[in-house]
Amino acid sequence: MIESQRHSYHLVDPSPWPISGSLGALATTVGGVMYMHPFQGGATLLSLGLIFILYTMFVWWRDVLRESTLEGHHTKVVQLGLRYGFIPFIVSEVMFLFAFFRASSHSSLAPTVEIGGIWPPKGIGVLDPREIPFLNTPILLSSGAAVTWAHHAILAGKEKRAVYALVATVSLALVFTGFQGMEYYQAPFTISDSIYGSTFFLATGFHGFHVIIGTLFLIICGIRQYLGHLTKEHHVGFEAAAWYWHFVDVVRLFPFVSIYWWGGI
Amino acid sequence: MAEIELKTAPADFRFPTTNQTRHCFTRYIEFHRCVAARGEESNECEKFAKYYRSLCPGEWIEKWEEQRAEGTFPGPL
Repeated sequence: MIESQRHSYHLVDPSPWPISGSLGALATTVGGVMYMHPFQGGATLLSLGLIFILYTMFVWWRDVLRESTLEGHHTKVVQLGLRYGFIPFIVSEVMFLFAFFRASSHSSLAPTVEIGGIWPPKGIGVLDPREIPFLNTPILLSSGAAVTWAHHAILAGKEKRAVYALVATVSLALVFTGFQGMEYYQAPFTISDSIYGSTFFLATGFHGFHVIIGTLFLIICGIRQYLGHLTKEHHVGFEAAAWYWHFVDVVRLFPFVSIYWWGGI
Repeated sequence: MAEIELKTAPADFRFPTTNQTRHCFTRYIEFHRCVAARGEESNECEKFAKYYRSLCPGEWIEKWEEQRAEGTFPGPL
């Protein structure tokens, strides 16, 4: 920190990552379009773009970690700003997933004549909501409880216990994803089987993708907790991960109730 | 010159909207359910046939006839 700084805001240094991330996104979009149309080199450009984005994410977050944990730029007011920023991000994620649940409800509440006016459409063998779905929902909710345990351990300064709690959280998350993978593998319908398959896999798939993101976020928190980066007073990264995790497990209730249960009987 | 009586399907309060797609489809199903329950020779089902014929576009009926023949008709017959 510069000696003359008389405020507690973090004025960031110039960084190459915004432009590198943008170029990665450009390569990904153009590569993706080329890959899905008869162009040469689409797959190469798409992979290059994705690698570029992943690399940018890694180095950018590495820099943020250095600025906060090692250089102490994340003062109280900066931490508040990070929290205020994370809330609208989660709200936007809720709206993103809401669109897919809305699509599912739109198609199932008044099924069109093209699918015979019935839901599920004829010939779709639906999954029994009392099997994997009913098992996986409490598994994810328990994981949400375990992350609260981790939070209390951090607030109490019980560093080792916080690591154990995060291991429990992540383990439950992995069991959830494993069961979800098994369900997809054994499902008697595919994403191309009528509007039922399309909405089912779009909604549950994007939810599952968010579970995977949340799991990675929690794994990073677990590692940082183990390395002693998180303290009683300063653990914004963990709080953001916990909020994200609660968002993911509350959102699970919508597909469970409306797609698996109501839509599957 | 004999008077020709022109008649369409009666208003059905299950289908109050301008869009009568579902009305047509339901009458088509009701006709086939009626035939299945009472047999071809029953003349009670003929009214349902009149209803769906006046409500449904010809191509739809052709398509559904084909689907029924192939066993791919999606409706609850």
